[in-house]
Amino acid sequence: MPIEHGDPAAGVRPLPPPARRRWVVVVLAVLLVLAVTAAVIAGLVAADQREAAADWQQRTTTLQQQLDEVVEERTQLAVQRDEAIDALIASESDVAALEDRVRTLAEEKARAEDTATTVSVERDVFIELSEVVTEATSSLDTCVTRLFELQEASVAAFNAAAAGRQVDVVALNARAETVTGFCEQARSAVAEAEAAADRLRRSS
Amino acid sequence: MSSAPRAVRWLLLVGVVGLLTGCVAPPGEPLTAPPTLEVEQRALPEVAASSLERRAQEVTVRVRSLGCEQFGLGSGFVLPGGVVVTNRHVVDRPREVTINTWDGRSFPVGVVGVATDSDLALLQLEDDVDLPVAELRTTAVAAGEEVLVVGYPGGGAAEVATGRILGSVDGTVLGEPAEVLRIEVSVTQGSSGGPVFDRSGRVVGVVFAIEVDAGVGLAVPVETVLERLDTEVLVAPEPC
Repeated sequence: MPIEHGDPAAGVRPLPPPARRRWVVVVLAVLLVLAVTAAVIAGLVAADQREAAADWQQRTTTLQQQLDEVVEERTQLAVQRDEAIDALIASESDVAALEDRVRTLAEEKARAEDTATTVSVERDVFIELSEVVTEATSSLDTCVTRLFELQEASVAAFNAAAAGRQVDVVALNARAETVTGFCEQARSAVAEAEAAADRLRRSS
Repeated sequence: MSSAPRAVRWLLLVGVVGLLTGCVAPPGEPLTAPPTLEVEQRALPEVAASSLERRAQEVTVRVRSLGCEQFGLGSGFVLPGGVVVTNRHVVDRPREVTINTWDGRSFPVGVVGVATDSDLALLQLEDDVDLPVAELRTTAVAAGEEVLVVGYPGGGAAEVATGRILGSVDGTVLGEPAEVLRIEVSVTQGSSGGPVFDRSGRVVGVVFAIEVDAGVGLAVPVETVLERLDTEVLVAPEPC
């Protein structure tokens, strides 16, 4: 049977028995200590968290600034890159034009050298031709001179024979042979000159 | 007032204080939106100095041969050691042979020898000059490959033409020891002796004739060139 310790209707709460009250007090005290301890720990953790949050906040702000700087730097680099590419394009265009010019000048130089080589060859041929023509002319001149001399000697011999004087026919014939040799040389020289002229005609 | 409810209130108070002290201040101003990090891509122009066309042009020379009875103009290309490869018919019975580079320099060369069974001749630079040299490809070329042909058509300025390998034909009728390459590139007089390059810039053939009906070029394949580089198989050119 439960024991009534007061009248509930009169607003008096019945007190637990003394042993139970001690238990409640002990439990509440323990809970109070635990709660205080938990509160202290929570406070310390919270302080740490606040400090960490502040650090992260600061770090975020710093990173944001760095990012802004990097983006700005990248933008400037992109501008510089574009300028460099534009300059390179212009430079390459200039280089291409200059190379074309170099090729044209090289061609003109090569053709000039071709002409110089051809002219040099022609000069050599002309010199050769000139030499053989000179030789032929000289030989012909000698031939003609000797022919005139032979003619005079022949006329003199004829006149001498007509006058009844002795004529050295052997000497006259020997002289005629010599003159023939000179004139044969002249013919050879003329033939050589003709050949040289023919070579010149073919080379031009 | 009893101690139990008071203790409960204390507990609540301590709990509330604990919760309040555990609260963390909200973060500050939100970060600005991250800027776009994309950069407009721009293609770089091709640099002429390092282009295949330029390199091919640099190793290709114009050959001028003053012969006994003719004046020959053709093309050729420079190999290491001051060796120049050209066509035999370009340096027929030579008296004086000169090469011109694409940029206007001229150098005298001597004829080392000519091939008896192929339209190839080897020249040697007489001066000790450092000219860019060509690289010969050691593997066979295949039909359909894109090629570049460099030469001095008509004895004019250096020209680069692009085309492809059409295939090969029997070269014996043309006085060649093996098959010769048909190239889909129009070549003219003066291109003779000019190199045919693959897309890597290696020589795969030497232009030597024109297939008039089809309007395509014919080239001695690099295999024949490699065999004829051995000077022992060459003979001295016919004297003047």
